[in-house]
Amino acid sequence: MSIKRLIVPLCAVLLALGVAACGGDDESGGTTAQTTAQGEGSAAGNAEGGGGRLKIAFSAPGADHGWMAAITENARKEADRLGDVELIASEGVTDSAAQADQIETLIAQKPDALVVLPNEGEALTPVAQKATAAGIPVINVDREFTTPGAYRTLITGDNYGIGWQAGNYFADQLKCRGNVVEIQGIAGISVTEDRSKGFRDAIKARCKTGIRIVASQPADFLPDKGLSVMENILQAQKSIDGVYTHDDDMAEGVVSAIENANRQDEMFLTGAGGSKAAMERIEEGGLYRATFLYNPVMSASAIRLARLVARGQGFEELAEPEVPSKITVPATTVTKDNVADVKDLGF
Amino acid sequence: MSTVPDAASRSLPLGLALGRSQIQEYALVGVVLLLLVAGAILEPGAFLTSDNMLNVLRQASVVGVLAIGMTFVIATSGIDLSVGSMVAAAAVAGGQFADSGSLAFILGALGMGILLGGINAGAIAYGRVVPFIATLAMFTMARGIALWMSDKTPISIFSLESVRWFGNGEVLGVPSAAVVFLAVTAIAWVLLNRTRYGRYVVAVGGNREAARIAGVNVPRIVFSVYVLSGICVAIAAILVSGRLSSASPIVGNLYELDAIAAVVIGGTALAGGRATIVGTFLGVITFALIFNLLTLMDLATEIQQVTKGLIILAAVLIQRRDR
Repeated sequence: MSIKRLIVPLCAVLLALGVAACGGDDESGGTTAQTTAQGEGSAAGNAEGGGGRLKIAFSAPGADHGWMAAITENARKEADRLGDVELIASEGVTDSAAQADQIETLIAQKPDALVVLPNEGEALTPVAQKATAAGIPVINVDREFTTPGAYRTLITGDNYGIGWQAGNYFADQLKCRGNVVEIQGIAGISVTEDRSKGFRDAIKARCKTGIRIVASQPADFLPDKGLSVMENILQAQKSIDGVYTHDDDMAEGVVSAIENANRQDEMFLTGAGGSKAAMERIEEGGLYRATFLYNPVMSASAIRLARLVARGQGFEELAEPEVPSKITVPATTVTKDNVADVKDLGF
Repeated sequence: MSTVPDAASRSLPLGLALGRSQIQEYALVGVVLLLLVAGAILEPGAFLTSDNMLNVLRQASVVGVLAIGMTFVIATSGIDLSVGSMVAAAAVAGGQFADSGSLAFILGALGMGILLGGINAGAIAYGRVVPFIATLAMFTMARGIALWMSDKTPISIFSLESVRWFGNGEVLGVPSAAVVFLAVTAIAWVLLNRTRYGRYVVAVGGNREAARIAGVNVPRIVFSVYVLSGICVAIAAILVSGRLSSASPIVGNLYELDAIAAVVIGGTALAGGRATIVGTFLGVITFALIFNLLTLMDLATEIQQVTKGLIILAAVLIQRRDR
């Protein structure tokens, strides 16, 4: 039931992204993009009449990781492309208290909407509630605030879905028999736990006990840690058929460990996220067999959602006049067969 | 003799004496042996094999080289919190020259390591900034430089055979990264224990005023150790990039803590004035063995973390009792 409810908004978002991706390829087309944006505005029926410039505030943690870097970059690019949005962005902090301070500063500037990817959902819920109470609609990206009232709309990737799709992929590839290694992200955060649980659930549902997870260790989403952890696991496990990693960047290190040990023909590996480097490796074929999208382009969608919410508009494709309150972006399985279709989304 | 006597109570240590740190070294040898025995029992097939021991040495090499540089810094009662971030900056700086071959990569990494180390050095030795703060500033700056120069994405250095050899090659069956680590350790041992420079470094950490009166150019010595740390950073950057076949802006996370922990567990005094290279080496090996064994056993993360903490605490307590 919940899936059904999500399909429509999903299609809408993907459609919108598709249009944006096709239309926004060349950088020199600034004026074209602007007219397009205005055109869209009038087509959707502008609630504010004139449709003046909107001030949208954006806050995300510091870009200490390729994925996070892409989040901020995509938000900025989207704001530029829309033309009628002024983005006031703050980033660069890596702890929740500092981000809360940043958001307070943003609220004081009275933006029309606030887009937040919180460092930790729970810790930043109070400040999001504060913004909501001040009449600023909050678009929550990726990590969910703990009180639903804290945000107007949530857009998130599907971590459980990544695990679930990966589990099904392994079941198919291994025909339900074999030894699997799992290289996790940071232990104890919901991203890691969900990606792990989805994977285990799918494998159990499909294969009962046919696939054994012989080792499961965290490498904190870091390539050098992934390298060392995998080197040790290769020492302990003499027969590995597949490696499920929680992140494409980290997987680079895992790949190095396997190739250095000259065991790349023994097993295959999958990533998660959808980095350019991973997609290139998948295209080449060999060890790196698949990745599962958790695409940072969702921050661009968040800016679009913020714009619609601030203007009081909805999706044309939906019967409802307003933007939905929750949107989950699907965890598409990317293999050699479809990598060409999604390569533009790589980060 | 691999120790330098406790200089805190003396004006200038010129002779070699049996210091406290030497006892600590012997105790650490015991800890390493205990770990080896425990590993052989718990993981009979995989742990005590030559393949895995060389693997441990290879893994220890990156943080090991940093810890050697850190030993000199801590000997002067300083600290360098920036080495992890600087590794990323040096790796990415080398990566800028990836098209021009391995030598260009190495020079780029060295240049960045020395430059950033030099900024630390200047701020601390001549700007009189507290080392903790100066290197904390560099900790965030260097990471920023790495992300900025790399455009936040790893740079492939797959074509640089020589750099990759440093990470993954072998010399007579021994991983080349381990050979580099052992060579750096040997050079540092001679420098600290057999040269006037080494004595000055320890003297500055033991009693700065006494060293100054005895004619040591204190700022110059302090300056030199942070540059030395920068050079070690560059070497570590070459090793880690070689191992990953890419120069990544997000490597080196928290390496400074690993390096400092290895130095301190080895017996070098955080307050300065006492330093041991052999102790640092054993400290690095201790941590690498713990990490290796716990991963081999595939323990749950939370159990690993508690176990690692307990082993560290036990290792230090064993040394205390021997004193």
